[in-house]
Amino acid sequence: MNTPAKHTDVLAAADDLRRRTLADMTQPLGRLIYLASTRDYNTGLYYHQGLALRFSEEAACEALADCHREAFEELVAASLEELVYELEAYLKSTRVAAGDFIVAWKGLEPYRVAVPVGIDSLASELVFSNLKVALAILEERLMARPKPGASLHPLPVQ
Amino acid sequence: MVGLLLYLALGIGLLVFLWALARRKGAPVEGCGRQFVEARQALRTLQFGLLPENLIQRIFDPEDFRYVTAASSGKIGELFLQERTRISLMWVRRVRSEIRNLMHFHLAYSRLHAKLSLLTEIRLALDFALLLMACRAMRILLYLRGPYGARSMVRVLTATAGRVCAASEKSLAFLNTPALESFRRDSAGHGAAI
Repeated sequence: MNTPAKHTDVLAAADDLRRRTLADMTQPLGRLIYLASTRDYNTGLYYHQGLALRFSEEAACEALADCHREAFEELVAASLEELVYELEAYLKSTRVAAGDFIVAWKGLEPYRVAVPVGIDSLASELVFSNLKVALAILEERLMARPKPGASLHPLPVQ
Repeated sequence: MVGLLLYLALGIGLLVFLWALARRKGAPVEGCGRQFVEARQALRTLQFGLLPENLIQRIFDPEDFRYVTAASSGKIGELFLQERTRISLMWVRRVRSEIRNLMHFHLAYSRLHAKLSLLTEIRLALDFALLLMACRAMRILLYLRGPYGARSMVRVLTATAGRVCAASEKSLAFLNTPALESFRRDSAGHGAAI
């Protein structure tokens, strides 16, 4: 990871990433969580084996970082209504019991570690704040219409 | 006796004033690059972090509040207003802080390096004063009326801040050489490394 990647390679890698891996992830929230999971906590560098083989490790890393930033910026620009919809769609895609998901997201706030590098703290605070309210709205809806599997058990970590 | 004490107090006061003046650091005439870098950082933060139109629109758009009141209970509405007021106050605080950084730069260094006309300097001084007053007024309005009670003040603040940014950009233009820009584009600037 010492040599910087060529700008054209990064653009091509990012385009490839959008067309293949991210094509099924239509919601920015899903993309954000996925892309954050490709980042190494210790180095801050992104890894994607397929993309690195096709291009180079450096180009893949920068392409993943670009797409990560892009997904976050989409979340910043999203209205609260859109965010509630996205959260609901993401919840469905995880196939986790709705109650467990809400308890985990409220308690652990996993989105806090999904922020790309170089994002202004105000933008990230706005997204965290909107997600907090969106979760509350979603929880209220679920409480109003309880479904099987929506257990709302407290997490063992809490 | 009272007169003597008065003169003594005056003398001591003057000595303290002179001592305070002597302790103040004067602006160096040349070679202090750190202040330029800090000023440019403040300018970038304002331009790309705090003043983008879509971010301001998002923070102060009442549509979100309308949605919350229509789609949820009053308790969530309260939570939303509390959160949005916190974010709005954070925005004003950050804008004020970066504006003050730019103002200090202009006061101490810009006149020594940049070729700004007297008229521009006066306009800039008035804009800085207006901005600081607008930030203070906006904070009061946000506390009193919530995040949607100061929308006209937001417009004044962003327009004035935009003018100050444009003037500061001119003062700091020499830092943006084409060579540096092309180097930044080709290097790992888009990268992910911390």
